[in-house]
Amino acid sequence: MSKTFDRFASIAFLLIGLLFVIESRSISVSSYGSTVGPNIFPMALGAILILLSIRLLFETTKYKPEDGSKEPLQYKKFIIIFVSAAVYAGVLEPIGYVISTFIFLLIAFQTMERGKWLSSIIIAGVFSFGVYYFFVEFLGGSLPGFPQF
Amino acid sequence: MSTLDFLFDGFAVAFQWQNILFAFVGVVIGTAVGVLPGIGPMSGVALLIPVTATLTSGLQPEAAAASSIILLAGVYYGAMYGGSTTSILLNTPGESSSVVTTLDGYQMAKQGRAGAALSIAAIGSFAAGIISLIGLVLLAKPLSNIAIKFGPAEYFSLMLLGLCAVSGLAGKSMTKALIMTIFGLLLGTIGIDAVSGIARFTYDMPILYSGLEFLTIAVGLFALGEVFKTILERDKEDGAIAKIDRVLPTKQDLKDSAVPIVRGSLLGFFIGVLPGAGATLASFFSYIAEKKFSKHPEMFGKGAIAGVAGPESANNAASGGAMIPLLTLGIPGSGTTAILMGALIMYNIQPGPLLFEDHPDVAWGLIASMFIGNLMLLVLNMPLVKVFAKIIQTPKKYLLPIIVTISFFGVYAVQYTTFDLYLLLACGVLGYLLSKNDYPVAPLVLALVLGPMIENNMRRALTISNSDFSIFLTRPLSLSFLIVAAIWLLVPLLLKLKGRSVIVNDEE
Repeated sequence: MSKTFDRFASIAFLLIGLLFVIESRSISVSSYGSTVGPNIFPMALGAILILLSIRLLFETTKYKPEDGSKEPLQYKKFIIIFVSAAVYAGVLEPIGYVISTFIFLLIAFQTMERGKWLSSIIIAGVFSFGVYYFFVEFLGGSLPGFPQF
Repeated sequence: MSTLDFLFDGFAVAFQWQNILFAFVGVVIGTAVGVLPGIGPMSGVALLIPVTATLTSGLQPEAAAASSIILLAGVYYGAMYGGSTTSILLNTPGESSSVVTTLDGYQMAKQGRAGAALSIAAIGSFAAGIISLIGLVLLAKPLSNIAIKFGPAEYFSLMLLGLCAVSGLAGKSMTKALIMTIFGLLLGTIGIDAVSGIARFTYDMPILYSGLEFLTIAVGLFALGEVFKTILERDKEDGAIAKIDRVLPTKQDLKDSAVPIVRGSLLGFFIGVLPGAGATLASFFSYIAEKKFSKHPEMFGKGAIAGVAGPESANNAASGGAMIPLLTLGIPGSGTTAILMGALIMYNIQPGPLLFEDHPDVAWGLIASMFIGNLMLLVLNMPLVKVFAKIIQTPKKYLLPIIVTISFFGVYAVQYTTFDLYLLLACGVLGYLLSKNDYPVAPLVLALVLGPMIENNMRRALTISNSDFSIFLTRPLSLSFLIVAAIWLLVPLLLKLKGRSVIVNDEE
């Protein structure tokens, strides 16, 4: 259990609860034949969330001190893969499924482990073409295939 | 028509050639999903929805729904078979529900009895599958007859009970579990309110009008979260895979495991029926029970075959039992059944008490196909166990990026928006951070699915009672559901106060 993370999380959830409570006040009350309008449910939930986060905040004060032994995280690999995944999401529609998937897989394979370019290219190629043709040609689904000019 | 007639009609549906094929594909993919660490039954089922939707696009709506649910359910219970393989051979469970299998299964493998352990796991899963299906057949009609009398107040309380059960058992800290549940319910309120038609928390963004898609969130939290975790944390060196010499168990093995299988099946089935307590908990309880009943409790942890047979039967029986609240009440008890429900709703088929009257082909076809699917799994798993064991050796280098692209494909092919892809990535990071810090994510997904249903039923009940909240307490059934819900939250709390350790359930 990480004390700092739980503190941060409890404050984040507190703010989320607060946001829902405040924002649900501005939902217009409907004319539907009940005084329980669309605002009650989120408002009540927001209030409960606030109470629970306060409780979590109190619980964090009771945590035992942490022992310092932690495995180093591989941030570099993660950031490269995450950023390329985000770019992949962005270019999927403009340049199409096949090319974007191929490039993403190639980058990710090489980030995970350098070398063996040939097998990386073959696997990425087979996967991206394979999924596209299986889904679009064989199953009749629809995906943006190639760049539209 | 009697239950048997319905079941007979169900077999007529299940024996159509395309449905046999769908069941086969489902159980094979399910076994692979169970073997592969990183993809659990929940993400496996979720990712296959776009594929089944396109596969069945040429069929009549009802037949299409029956076929795709047959495939998706096959993935679900197939994963329970596959999960044991890695536990026994590698000492790393493929699913959370086969964690206890590692205790004795890996020991057996070390003693050169890997084949016996694997085949007993398969036989136990098969027996459990059949026992839980018989239970499903017997209970389906009477339960839906009761459920049909439920009003909105009863439904509200029952769903609240489901959520409390999941939060009470999930994770190490109940506060955190409850926070996740409430957060899920809140996320479920985003979008157009179904009762009044008013847009809530959308800030004039059209993409939010239909609400956040739970498929995206579930795949992000579970599949991507797991991928990110494996990338970030240094991959552990995998131990050597144990050799499989003889596949068939000896007569003594069979004799030793017959009773644990039956016990595990019955226990697992009843635990599975309860909302919130799923396969993981069932396998834990079964292991404890076997140790208590055994004449040689000192053998447990050193390769007792009962310690494999019991839990493996229990987790499979629980997955069958979990279908009962889904099909008869329309309330999913776990993340995976919530996704199955989402798939049914996509085909405009509402699970619940009316399912058995309105769409008998779907309901009974599914039940009948589960008989066939379990048989296929037994036949497949005994000779092919060596082939499935090979899947474990897929290098992570290739596996992880491919899981990312499959998730992208699964989400994009259903939603067709780039927004959902970004949401998917965000949920992946969130899923990693949350589960790393003991915030259980399964309650969040379940709450997201149940949220709108809970709210609608609450408001309908309050409309009936002229906004008098006592309607939930004056109707006897509703009151008893609420009392059980409260007990479910209070008992673990009291046990913790007394200093007893509570078994937790990190179910997908």
